[in-house]
Amino acid sequence: MASTEAYLTGVGTFLPGPPVDNATLAKMLGVSEEWIEVFIGTRTRHFARDVGTGEIQWSLADLCAQAAEQALADAGVDRSEIEFIVMGTATPDTLMPATVNHVADQLGLNHLPTYQLQSGCAGAVQALDLGRTLVLAGRHRTGLVIGGDVSSKHLDPSLDFSGKAPSELVNFVLFGDGAGAAVISAEPAGRRLALVRVLNQLTGLGREPGQVIEWFGMADRDSDRQALVEDYKAIEEGVPVMAVEILWELLGDLGWSAEDLDFLLPPQLSGRMTAKITAQLDVPGAEEISCVAETGNNGNALPFLQLERLAERIEPGQRALAVAVESSKWIKAGFAVEAF
Amino acid sequence: MKPIAIVGLDCRFPGAPDPGAYWDLLTRSADGVRQVPELRWRASDFYDRAGGEGRSNTTQGGFIDDVDAFDNEFFTVSPREAAALDPQQRLLLQTSWRALEDAGISPKQLAGSNTGVFVGIMGNEWAQVHMTDYPNVTAQVGSGNGYCMTANRVSYHLDLKGPSLAVDTACSSSLVAVHLACNALLAEECDYALAGGVNVAVTPGLSIFYTQAGLSAPDGRCKPFSADADGIGRAEGVGVVVLRRLEDAIADGQQVYAVIRGSAVNQDGRSNGITAPNRWSQQEVLAAAYRRAGVEPAEVSFMEAHGTGTALGDMIEVKALGHLHAGRTGQPLAIGSVKGNLGHAEGAAGIAGLIKVALSLHHRVVPASRFAAKENPKLQLARNGLRLLKAPLRLPAGATVAGLSSFGMGGTNVHTVLESAPGSGARTAAGRGRGAAHGGGVFTLTAPSPEALRRNLLAQAGALPRGRGPAAGLCRASNQVKTGHRYRFALPARDVRELEEGLRSAVADGELLAGLAEEPVARPRIAFLFTGQGAQFEGMTAGLYRDWPLYRRFLDEADEALAPHLGESIRDLVLGGDPRIHRTAFAQPALFAVGYAQARALDVLGVRPDVLLGHSVGEFAAAVVAGVLSLADAARLITARGALMQELPAGGGMLSARATPQELAELLAAEPLVGVAALNGPRATVLSGDLAALGRIADTLAGRGTAVRRLQVSHAFHSPLMAPMLDRFAEVARQAATGRAGVPLLSTVTGGEPATLDADYWVRHVSAPVRFAEAAERLIASGPTHLVEIGPRPVLTSLVRRLRPPAGVRSVHLTPTEESGGPELDAAVAELFRGGVDPVWEALYEGREPAPQRLSPYAFSTAHRYWSRNPVAAPGQAAPARPAVSAVAAAATADPAPAPEGSARVVDIDRSAKTPDALAHAVLGAVAGVGGYPPEEISVRSRLYQDLGFDSVMVMELKSRIEAQLPAVGELSVQELLPRLSTVGELVGHLRELAGGACGPAAVAEEQRRMTSA
Repeated sequence: MASTEAYLTGVGTFLPGPPVDNATLAKMLGVSEEWIEVFIGTRTRHFARDVGTGEIQWSLADLCAQAAEQALADAGVDRSEIEFIVMGTATPDTLMPATVNHVADQLGLNHLPTYQLQSGCAGAVQALDLGRTLVLAGRHRTGLVIGGDVSSKHLDPSLDFSGKAPSELVNFVLFGDGAGAAVISAEPAGRRLALVRVLNQLTGLGREPGQVIEWFGMADRDSDRQALVEDYKAIEEGVPVMAVEILWELLGDLGWSAEDLDFLLPPQLSGRMTAKITAQLDVPGAEEISCVAETGNNGNALPFLQLERLAERIEPGQRALAVAVESSKWIKAGFAVEAF
Repeated sequence: MKPIAIVGLDCRFPGAPDPGAYWDLLTRSADGVRQVPELRWRASDFYDRAGGEGRSNTTQGGFIDDVDAFDNEFFTVSPREAAALDPQQRLLLQTSWRALEDAGISPKQLAGSNTGVFVGIMGNEWAQVHMTDYPNVTAQVGSGNGYCMTANRVSYHLDLKGPSLAVDTACSSSLVAVHLACNALLAEECDYALAGGVNVAVTPGLSIFYTQAGLSAPDGRCKPFSADADGIGRAEGVGVVVLRRLEDAIADGQQVYAVIRGSAVNQDGRSNGITAPNRWSQQEVLAAAYRRAGVEPAEVSFMEAHGTGTALGDMIEVKALGHLHAGRTGQPLAIGSVKGNLGHAEGAAGIAGLIKVALSLHHRVVPASRFAAKENPKLQLARNGLRLLKAPLRLPAGATVAGLSSFGMGGTNVHTVLESAPGSGARTAAGRGRGAAHGGGVFTLTAPSPEALRRNLLAQAGALPRGRGPAAGLCRASNQVKTGHRYRFALPARDVRELEEGLRSAVADGELLAGLAEEPVARPRIAFLFTGQGAQFEGMTAGLYRDWPLYRRFLDEADEALAPHLGESIRDLVLGGDPRIHRTAFAQPALFAVGYAQARALDVLGVRPDVLLGHSVGEFAAAVVAGVLSLADAARLITARGALMQELPAGGGMLSARATPQELAELLAAEPLVGVAALNGPRATVLSGDLAALGRIADTLAGRGTAVRRLQVSHAFHSPLMAPMLDRFAEVARQAATGRAGVPLLSTVTGGEPATLDADYWVRHVSAPVRFAEAAERLIASGPTHLVEIGPRPVLTSLVRRLRPPAGVRSVHLTPTEESGGPELDAAVAELFRGGVDPVWEALYEGREPAPQRLSPYAFSTAHRYWSRNPVAAPGQAAPARPAVSAVAAAATADPAPAPEGSARVVDIDRSAKTPDALAHAVLGAVAGVGGYPPEEISVRSRLYQDLGFDSVMVMELKSRIEAQLPAVGELSVQELLPRLSTVGELVGHLRELAGGACGPAAVAEEQRRMTSA
């Protein structure tokens, strides 16, 4: 039987290791701590690798399984009730098997549909969209939606940073690792958050990507292409504009006014960018829920980290709206939540 | 009926040596059937495709691996007795032990309880072979055979005193045993029940019978409800479940696989022939079970059918099921049978089905039934409201009801109704508790020998869950289950990966293992040493406060007691990193608070001191622990003491000199404002007093080449400069109640145990020298095994070690480094556990919320193998030339954990003792002969009962053997012999006395010494 609403009944997150502060990174990269603070505005982040040795401490599957366990506990849901898993990531442990299946393995789940959406900053929202669709279609009652990234895969501590341009160094100070998860269900239970709307839209027709992550196989493993390339100028120009459009498109769809919003979850690029975008979104009546300054930009984990903070504060009857922009091929994403 | 919970299980079936492998076999729809192993009988000798007289039409069957292996040493069964034991009894023993561990119970904890044992069994083939070998029927063969002994043997070895019975209703035996066990639990005859079944094929007898009766499938495989069904294939197996009343299991927070809601047993009565199935009785037993469980047929989602795969049997079973289910609404009943994977395990068939259903409900998926794809159309399953499990069935969330049938050849039918475990109630409580500060714990494992320890550590490492979840739940389970053996292993671990790596390294590295495992010889004797002033630092014990609620509670308690006198919170000052901690007025109450809180928390943890020592200020917390001072009195005293000292004028200091007090006496005589403050060791003397005078002394000593060091202190403690505060302190001290210590307290004022700790004592304590060295010497002389230092960081334990390094004494500290928190606490508890302390584990895990988890059960040794000395031969053929494996065919290479080099440190069992003379040699030989042990495994230290499994029958035989071999000792009196049988060495000593070689009990000790040092 189809449900008319999908609910987020539990949220969980997981950040690996202790927070790595700017002093540590500044020393490693040979840049000034002040530069990071002023231009990036991110204070701490977590890494799945040992920053000193580069040794891998946590796989993406490890992080996601931990976050999923937290979400299950938070929802008070037994794993046997989970009927599907949707996961978004831009940095899978392997191309095959899809990491979501290793997560299922760690959770002890079997005989259920799993989906992995390959996407960056919009991936978690896409996962929420698909999860919501599965519940609304009546195919399933309860499922797990997961997002996570291990960005530190692209950070090689053995490199010589002395000659690097700021545009290359920025990756090291911007990103972090982490995972988040939510239990989505047709049952209005647990955290009592209704996921009332999700926006997920490609808008990049004919537009140059703002962000490219390469992958290499045996044939091109020695390629000198940079694994991660970002067009920071395009991002800085494009993302705030898109963010404002997402906000108004969602409000319009819902028939809400900006004054109806109690909380705003803005895009989490970096401490500085997020502050800038939040100012442009200009919803002074809504409390901002951000995390990037403490967690670093850990991609698909971000909306869950924000949701977790939201869940602690939101009261019945209050509304929240989240905005996310993926600058790879310019994807608009966002969602709206109402507590009851 | 009231529901019964399945809380633990273990099994071995063809192609599946444990429950994990069994589930894997089922989910892969795999085949456990193979060629009859040579060990049983030579299949070709009995094979005839046409199934002629005395022949079987198949060479295939479901056989379990390592059927001959038995860890007799674990159960202290001698090799001779093990060789005589029906393998069905051996398998049941090991499986029962493992099932109890799987239930989260240390089997030794059930000793003496009213636990019942109910065993289904129909094969008695070992007895048929051995009890007819008349010349070789020994006492051991007698007690080791006959299935009457199967349940009783489990009760005997596990010391279980509830009902204990073997049940034979042919193929339904083990499910009838479960039915009886449930009834016994409901009648409160027992609070736990082990129920199960076993079947081992020693002879081809039943294969021939099935062939002759037209029931034997030529490929040896049951094909339940298949169009290809053509008869039965035989199978072996053993399975045991641990049952409890559900309400008890829930009350204890025990994990539940599934719940038995109802069961019923009936008989065909006079049907179409004694072996023919009866449809009417089958549908009646189903209906009766449904009634007893209170379920409607339509509520049952799936059914583990008897499903032998004979055309007639399948047809009758489907008709009986159809009678109840043909009219059901909703989905048809999904049916399948494990016989498709294993064959028909006869006495163990019912338990194979029960474990399959329990695991299906637990994993929430019902495996596909093998051979289901080609359904027998004649059965008309759909018309009967049935469908065959052609693919796995994922069970929806919520309660699921399942049925299970087992029908005996002679007409005894049983049906059981099961339900998924109640899940939803228990899980919400822990729901919101996210982000426990520390998710680690101490993984403990005990084993009867170093080899068993390594084998089991490896088994644990291989069975841990994937990922990097918190280790607390697994550790907690290990503390609960893996107890009671001699060798005690403990490893602190923060998460599962660290645990796995730690276990693997310990197995691979003997040196490492030696540091993680001990064999404590005596009860631990614990000394608490309370650190004095100087050990304090900003933020001390903050990590412990963060990670251990128990420490939090007691530091808060001390804080509350101190606050009225201090006017502020010493806890906030300590944890907040306030530099005022170094001022005497705060340092003294702060150290007291830390010492008090650590000691009290340790007390709740079950770590209690046998002797106490406090260095100067440390003596106040020690006095509270000893019961001399109340917390309130101590708080008032210590605050006044610190405050009064703080008020004294500056200008005092302390100087440590590497010299004896005698060497300093002359210098001190010239300086009346300086005195001896502490005697920390023979050449570790601390002087205290006026700074200028100390300067002169220091210069003189330096001139003589004596090492001196000025201490960073604000005042000249324990010196004549303290005199101005004494009167005022005495006033406060007189208000405190005095008493005698409840725990011996060695005073650093007197250097020994003071008669009483009254006001005068505490006043003297201010200016008298700290006679630490003397008190510590006394402490060491009292023979402690563990020096537990109480304080913010270790100081005293190293002083003690410099004084006189006590051999084998362990130093333990809760906060060995400034950042110490949960992991260091765990390391300290691990050290104490290894040394023989049994902590109150709940106290350690407070606040960590360890999730209940199951551990892999005990991994038994497969090194010793015992099989029939009477190979089965076909008529007219010679027995195959196969060596009789009557004693020990120890295959060291079969042990998965070969002993690495350098492991002798943990091994430390002296098996190499030489036999110095004929008498000892003869005794060792006799002991070995009676037990069937290889002589090299017997030493003077071997304990006859605990290590070698001696019983009264064996003692009688030992007596005769000794009398025959040692005429010099004459005829022995059993009465005199019995008390001298604790070790082989003691027996040797006794016999030596009788032989006139020595006299008096001293000779025994001498004998042991002489032989072990040889």
